[in-house]
Amino acid sequence: MSALTWIGCVAILFGLISFYATNHLGAFGIANLALGGVALLLALGLAVRRIGRGAGPYARSAIARGVAGVAVALALGVACERAAHGSGIRWDWTFERRYELAPQLADLLRELPGLKITLFYDPLDPRIRRTRLLAQELVRASGGQYAEYDIEKVPEEIDVYAVDSSNTLVLELGNDFQVVERPLEGALFEALYRLRAVEAGVIGILRGEGEGDPERETELGFGGLAAALATEGYELRSFVTLSMRDVPEEIDAILAIGPQRPIGERAQAALRRFLARGGALIALLEPGVESGLEDLLAEWGMTTPDELVIDPASGEGLDSEPEGVCPLVYNYETHNATRGLDRNRMTFFCGARPFDLSKPQVDDELTALALSSPKAWRSDDPKRLKQTSAEPEGVARGYQPIAVSGRYLRDGVETRIFAVGDSDFASNRYLRSLYNLDLVMNGVHWALAREPQIVLRPKVRDTVQFPLPVQDSLQMLYGVGLLLPELLLIAGGVLWLRQRSA
Amino acid sequence: MTALRALLRKELASLFGSPTAYVTLMLVALVTALIFFDHLRLYNQILFVYASSSMGGFDTDVIPDYVNLWDSVFFPVMETLGLTLIGAVPLLTMRAFSEERARGTDELLISTSLSPGQIVIAKFAIVFLFVLAMMAASFVYPASAIERGGLGAQHLAAVFLGLTLHGIGVASIGLACSAFTSSQLVAAAAGWAVAFVLWDFGWIEPFVSERTANVLDALALHPRYGSFSEGVVSLENIAYFGALALVCMALARLSFDLRRVGSA
Repeated sequence: MSALTWIGCVAILFGLISFYATNHLGAFGIANLALGGVALLLALGLAVRRIGRGAGPYARSAIARGVAGVAVALALGVACERAAHGSGIRWDWTFERRYELAPQLADLLRELPGLKITLFYDPLDPRIRRTRLLAQELVRASGGQYAEYDIEKVPEEIDVYAVDSSNTLVLELGNDFQVVERPLEGALFEALYRLRAVEAGVIGILRGEGEGDPERETELGFGGLAAALATEGYELRSFVTLSMRDVPEEIDAILAIGPQRPIGERAQAALRRFLARGGALIALLEPGVESGLEDLLAEWGMTTPDELVIDPASGEGLDSEPEGVCPLVYNYETHNATRGLDRNRMTFFCGARPFDLSKPQVDDELTALALSSPKAWRSDDPKRLKQTSAEPEGVARGYQPIAVSGRYLRDGVETRIFAVGDSDFASNRYLRSLYNLDLVMNGVHWALAREPQIVLRPKVRDTVQFPLPVQDSLQMLYGVGLLLPELLLIAGGVLWLRQRSA
Repeated sequence: MTALRALLRKELASLFGSPTAYVTLMLVALVTALIFFDHLRLYNQILFVYASSSMGGFDTDVIPDYVNLWDSVFFPVMETLGLTLIGAVPLLTMRAFSEERARGTDELLISTSLSPGQIVIAKFAIVFLFVLAMMAASFVYPASAIERGGLGAQHLAAVFLGLTLHGIGVASIGLACSAFTSSQLVAAAAGWAVAFVLWDFGWIEPFVSERTANVLDALALHPRYGSFSEGVVSLENIAYFGALALVCMALARLSFDLRRVGSA
């Protein structure tokens, strides 16, 4: 019987080794597995026959008790495992807490019952392990359904969803679906937002005076901002200021992205009428430009002199811009538009003009939302944007407001203005830097009185991609990695020698 | 209780008094150190290739997602060590019961005040302790290297927790196999064969329905301990290994009944 078991085990072992070596079960593997199976069945048959032949009633009941013990252990084990599976309890021990969903993503998922998540994968793609865990976490938070398919095996689904590559998640809600090719929390958040299909309002974007281009996808463009606005439910319409006589009724807000030339009188007048009837304005300005919007804002208590905020506390910019011209902002006033932003959640502005606030009417609410450090000062020299020059004597230092908001109640009509002394911070180049996207989007939501939509969007959690110095690892290899096995071998050898001589 | 304590002491002395235990400990710790260092070196080299001036340096987002510490170091180390454990642990467990059988000392054990269940628990507990010691010895170098690099070792701890549970699972299989034979060689071969069959059922998937494949997948060792390499410690997987140990203990206990009636 032992010989049969031995043959069976070895045959099965080699059958499986052939499979793991080639990832294919060929004739050799099948023959070995078949031989092994037959040998083990024969051995089992012989054992059972011996039991039947030699066992009396007492022995049979003892064996039955033993078999029942195995059955109980099996049932208990399966029950425990299933209960643990049902509980969904797990702990995230990753460096960056990768599988703990951001609260805003979890909140959004709760708003989407009936969500179906499908993972399309290539079995050899190592990224799917991580995506699968993340998808399961999404399903847990939403209470939805989860499925996964090998992309090679479901050509019809691939066509339906236009899935191009492995490690793609498809999020489905009713008849609508979103395909996420790089399933990270930020991308999933945006896809879910689009699935939710909220109509947030209509925003008119001013064009024609050198404003930032919301259709441009390069670094200098504002395609990212336009996409983010569309994702969060806004309909965007462009208006050429030159031909603008009035702002249409259906427009809820006007967005001006850094106009480089003066806006015509007629358009300015239209904007004034729009604000007076309760429209919202989102003005992203630039230093060194007088577009006419500055005068309009001044009428609402937001004076913005043509100066540049120099904040020595921020050092050089990302691309070695002169020291202090790119303020890193971490001071925020408590306000709905800056909800969640704090000293650890900074925003970044490269070349910003300051604001001075003074209420035109006593009931107006004007707030300096984002401020530079107290070391900052104002410069009226535009050359400072290009080159570092010595600091003038006796500059007045203090917190410089860079983003401001105003809320005005006039004749029962509420007008809201959100203004920033820089437009580049929302360009494709800087939009995803730090918390810039959150500031601009939450400013827009606030201006349109959509406070419930104000959240901090999940950030991409970077994988650990920095080196562990080889020199350190080598020292540890000698100091611990090799020393410990060496000591264990010495101890084992000494023990053996002592046993032999005893 | 005294008899159980005596048995535990005897098992402990017999395991740690044998040079085989130290050689096994040494081998697993050495293999871990060498493969961990090798993967770490390779990971650093790949990073520096991407960081070189021709590739644009670290700041330009040129490093692919898959070049990271867990995909390049933790996961491959875990895969290799998982297989190493399947190779090494049955060698350790093969003698636990079969040697007693071959020498007839199991009869003596049964004639003491110890119940078969207690004997099984004692033998399993000592081997589990040894697996713990083995994984602790292996953990020291990777943990030191990661801590020295300024990263927390909690992710690595998850990897080693997974490996320890996998080791305990393989040890349970090996012990159950050892309980059914008096030949150490057969015990080891059976331990390897069963562990390999349970490792991953990918080989049988082309021949079974999708539903059966899913059930088999839930029974397999590899997907269970593999998820620990992602830094996720799930109660479900811990329960799986606990259940595996429990069933193997019950099987080992059954072998005593079969032996007692002289039919095994």
